[in-house]
Amino acid sequence: MTALARETGVGGSGRRPEAFSRGAEHMRQLGLMVQWQVRRSGQYLPLLVVVQVMLAVATVVGYGLLAGNPDRIAGLYLATGAPTITLITVGLVMTPQTVLQSKTEGSLDWLRTLPAPREVFLLADLVMWTLIALPGTVVGVVVGALTFGVTLSPTWWLVPSILLVSLVSASLGYAIGTLLPPTVAQLISQVLVFTVMLFTPISYPSERLPGWARILHEWLPLEPMAQAVRAGLAPQEFSIAPRSWIVLIVWCAISVLGAGLALRRRG
Amino acid sequence: MDDVLQVTGLRKGFRSRGGAVQANGGIDLTVTAGQVVGLLGHNGAGKSTLVNQVVGLLRPDAGEILLAGVDAIARPEQARRLASVQAQANVPITGLTPRVAVELVGRIRGGRRPEVASRAAALLGALDLEEWIDTPSEKVSGGVARLTAFAMAAVVPGRLVVLDEPTNDVDPVRRRLLWGQIRALADAGAAVLLVTHNVREAEQVVDRLAILDHGVVLASGTPGALTHGLGDTLALEVETAPGARLGWPAGLVVAQRTRTRSVATVPAERAGEAIAWAARERAERSIEAFSLTQRSLEDVYVELVDHEESAA
Repeated sequence: MTALARETGVGGSGRRPEAFSRGAEHMRQLGLMVQWQVRRSGQYLPLLVVVQVMLAVATVVGYGLLAGNPDRIAGLYLATGAPTITLITVGLVMTPQTVLQSKTEGSLDWLRTLPAPREVFLLADLVMWTLIALPGTVVGVVVGALTFGVTLSPTWWLVPSILLVSLVSASLGYAIGTLLPPTVAQLISQVLVFTVMLFTPISYPSERLPGWARILHEWLPLEPMAQAVRAGLAPQEFSIAPRSWIVLIVWCAISVLGAGLALRRRG
Repeated sequence: MDDVLQVTGLRKGFRSRGGAVQANGGIDLTVTAGQVVGLLGHNGAGKSTLVNQVVGLLRPDAGEILLAGVDAIARPEQARRLASVQAQANVPITGLTPRVAVELVGRIRGGRRPEVASRAAALLGALDLEEWIDTPSEKVSGGVARLTAFAMAAVVPGRLVVLDEPTNDVDPVRRRLLWGQIRALADAGAAVLLVTHNVREAEQVVDRLAILDHGVVLASGTPGALTHGLGDTLALEVETAPGARLGWPAGLVVAQRTRTRSVATVPAERAGEAIAWAARERAERSIEAFSLTQRSLEDVYVELVDHEESAA
């Protein structure tokens, strides 16, 4: 062991006690990576949060204008769809854009030389983006409930559902950002914005879609995401079928593995 | 000998628009604990490709990389624990101060908080960066950012420390401090692989050198062994006055010539004659300045690379 290693407490017998398992070490690294990312985007954080809040409110109010005088069920759809749209846009649009930015400025390659599991980078970004999306999600729900005069009764499993939705969309965004050439990734994330906002049964029931689109959405993770959040917010009115959970969890596995592989990829 | 890095027969090619490029064409390289090994080569010689394979960002086409006995190609995660890297590109740390950046990296690399804090402060102090230690990095100069990146690689050094062009953008005074810290890393037991094209300065710090060109090691050895081949020759560098035509003494070979500057190789036994000639020419104002120096590693490097180029 080198003198420096002794001094900094790294390597050999100077290492922290063995009881400090590898898992705890990874958690510690995750906390430090979150600090790194949050502090790096520190000056923009308030702005990002404001944009997310505005997006959520716009989804509720703007869709309300489109729908005219929505009945109670339509109002419920609008109020419970807004948080999902916020979470998905953050994951599928903001995440690839930040990944692209760190790719172009060179920080991604440097971060990848650090001795942390690749998933730590993914999770650190996920934590940060979930925190950024959270105020918008909450405000969207509150504004929606007030605007359309609907009563929501959130359940405890809304929290894990929201985390799952965040995880899946952020991992997909990560995979898009890392695997695809920058221009293509940017285009795809832009196409995804309007697909999610308009052509996905998040703020309206899927019956309004043409048959082929309904079938497509049965296999994509977007509708199950909306169902999970909706059922968590208004369990008396909505439910989520076991099949949707399975679709969502399979997509979660695929996207996390995909993002992990993308980060491990060696050219 | 404690070989920390052993690279054998390393090959890596890329497909590009112009066809295939062999970035590493069979590299053999060893870095021992306590040594600074310089890897010289100009842009595109394959230096960064080599570094990226050591830390598992690129997969070699062929060859072997052993890092402290660990197969770095099969186990990149372990390799990353054993190596710390200062990348060639500047690490963007906007939003962080040098102190915070160095401390966070030290702790991510597994250091304990108090030790990392004192080591970070000591390192940044030794590089004379106290003035900017708590300044957000978007407000510091490129040189300070470069030194901060060095401190990030050195705060909790791996068994191997890879430094890719650490002196770029750094002012001459702090460059000396930096060389001192690089030497100190090796003296504390790390194996240091120093990638640079700053031949002149590297010569003073490195224990061994490898000259890389077009993906192959052209020569390697101690600076002394590499310059030994130059024999007993000196370099006479003269700055010609505008419009003057020089009549060089017979038998001197002019190795480089630009409009105002020429360098000739001078056999040691003719040094006196060469100086007398140059002094006379200066008195007649056809030379503005001259110097006679021992030929350096830079000459070896330029000759080797030039030779390779004309042979190609």
